[in-house]
Amino acid sequence: MEWGIPIGAGIAFGLGALGAGIAMSRIGSAGAGTVAERPELFGYMLIFLAIPETLAIFGFVIAAMILIM
Amino acid sequence: MLQRMVKVQVIGPKKHLNQIVDTLYQAGTIHLEDASRDHEPGGIILQKIEPEEADTLAALISKIEGIQHILPKVSVDTKQEEAIISDLGQQGQEAIIKRAQEVIRTLEPTTKELISKKTDLEFTIENLSRYQDVIEKILPIEEQIPALEGFEITIILIQREFEGLLDLIRDRLTSITKNQCELISASVDEENIATVVIFNRQYAGEVHSFLYSQNVNELRLPPEYLNRPLKDILVLNRERKEEAVALVEQIDSDLRELAITWYMEISALRRLLTDRYEELKVYNKFGQTDYTFIVLGWIPKKLLEPTKMKLRDAYGDLVVVNELEPTPEMMDDAPTFYDNPAIVKPFEYLLSFISHPKYREIDPSPIFAIFFPIFFGLIVGDIGYGFVILGIALLLKKTFSEQFDWIRPLMNLMIIASLPTILFGFVFGKFFGDLGNRLDIIQPMTIMGIYWDRFDAMIPMLILVIAIGVFHIILGLSLGIINQYTKMQCAKYACDCRKHICEKAGMIMAILSVLVLAGALTLFIPEVLMYAGIVMLVIALALIIYGGGLIASMEIISLFGNIVSYARIMAIGISCMVLGVVANELGGMIGVAVIGIAVATVIHMINIILKMFTGSLHSFRLQIVEFGPKFTEGGGKLYKPFRRGDRG
Repeated sequence: MEWGIPIGAGIAFGLGALGAGIAMSRIGSAGAGTVAERPELFGYMLIFLAIPETLAIFGFVIAAMILIM
Repeated sequence: MLQRMVKVQVIGPKKHLNQIVDTLYQAGTIHLEDASRDHEPGGIILQKIEPEEADTLAALISKIEGIQHILPKVSVDTKQEEAIISDLGQQGQEAIIKRAQEVIRTLEPTTKELISKKTDLEFTIENLSRYQDVIEKILPIEEQIPALEGFEITIILIQREFEGLLDLIRDRLTSITKNQCELISASVDEENIATVVIFNRQYAGEVHSFLYSQNVNELRLPPEYLNRPLKDILVLNRERKEEAVALVEQIDSDLRELAITWYMEISALRRLLTDRYEELKVYNKFGQTDYTFIVLGWIPKKLLEPTKMKLRDAYGDLVVVNELEPTPEMMDDAPTFYDNPAIVKPFEYLLSFISHPKYREIDPSPIFAIFFPIFFGLIVGDIGYGFVILGIALLLKKTFSEQFDWIRPLMNLMIIASLPTILFGFVFGKFFGDLGNRLDIIQPMTIMGIYWDRFDAMIPMLILVIAIGVFHIILGLSLGIINQYTKMQCAKYACDCRKHICEKAGMIMAILSVLVLAGALTLFIPEVLMYAGIVMLVIALALIIYGGGLIASMEIISLFGNIVSYARIMAIGISCMVLGVVANELGGMIGVAVIGIAVATVIHMINIILKMFTGSLHSFRLQIVEFGPKFTEGGGKLYKPFRRGDRG
């Protein structure tokens, strides 16, 4: 069995998700503090929290392309 | 669509100020500005108006609220209440104040007396309950308490954790009473110990003073309880408690009767007075000279004529409405007034989470109303999920929209978004994940030669969402050009706007040139067009650098990042699909059908809830992060007309 392709896809997705996780943890804690003081910024906080998910999504796209192509 | 606004000055004689302000309040169209601040150099400086009746109204409101708070709540017939409000409202402010004073005069002494009696009685009941608990506990040790002439008994309560203090108290009391005292303890509950202290009455002053100084919780029995057996005290205590409870019930009944008679009028008066007070509070936004007053504000163009008519009908030529000549500075300050059909309203609410567009900008909410449901539908894309989301949204809207303001717009959003979800469910052939395929109820459609199964068509799906991204971003940039062109009509901004237009046009050209280059390289279009693509790219770069400088050329990278970001629609959609398949697989693996169905249902429900959240969040995010900033600056001031419930 060719292991290189699934391992490559796994690394692409795993690292992307890890990066997103680290970024989201920091944004989340800062955002929670912000919303505690200024609840009107909840909308912005939600958007900021969703921004690093792009990293995981890019990772997913690359992984899917590695697997399919 | 955003409404055109007109800045107006309403000028009238000061002696009619109250009536004219009331007419404006009833018309409910003017967004007030501070008139006393707005004057030209060398012009007349207007004085602020300080309403004299504000203090009277505040005092009346406070008293009425006090009475309303004392009276038990009774259900109010809103129609009758509205009738009272309309009747009193027509009689004018003086009549309202007079009526409020009459009601307060009639009710205040009675309600105050009743509530004060009730509070005393409740305090007594609480004390009697305490006596009862303690006496019941020390009843078994009554025989140990010596019946001595000239001796006094007091009870102290000590928390169990401070039990050790009892020895210290005993020593000190022995010393004070010269050994003429006895302490007997009994447990009251898990936390407290009651100690009966018997001591020679001649040392009463010193003993009580010592206990007081030690902050000991002393339970002083009423004088009539003294020198009686504990059993008699218990009976007496119970009788007194029953008597107090009966009196409280009587007071409650009296208050209820008063509430039935008066509550509706009090509620109506409170609303009327609060409204009038809110009206008066804005008086300090008005300017005045010796004989006239000036109200400054914004009125939507389409509501200007009806407002003028109302004032003309009521006051003839006494009131003048001046339309001010718009200047760039003035229009920068104009409020934003959405005027969209009901279907777009939930998307206006979505904008309130971040920032409203400025007056001169294009209203993004109708565009959101088109793309948000499409993105949500592409992400979730399941017939079964679509119907469940529709059901949940309808149920939550019906059940909770009265309690929470945000439920109605958000659930309307879900209702709208559930329809494309069902539609794309048909395209992808999905019904609760792959359940529809397993049961052979539905299969994915083949459109343009592509079999739109989400697993098999990952690449076409990726291309589709990237294409949507390209279109969306180009649309955003084009709207940005329109916004800048509108702003450019004002000479003050012409230079900046021209540069922004060049930058945005350059970005559009850069996207198109990359598409041409990619098409030519993959031989999708004739190879010769590659040269045209290169030329376009060079022109695009020149335009971007002219518009935003060298730094702006870096923006191209983020522009393509924005476009690739639309891949999330495909990625999250597949994760949704996978979880649905997992639910069906797990359910199918369990031998017992009922348990299998239950497990699958639970996982599907979790998936639906997750997708309601992530689907909305990512659709919203694509609009706000990728699309919105291409054309809107935000920071607009929302139009808040001076009217009941929405005061300016």
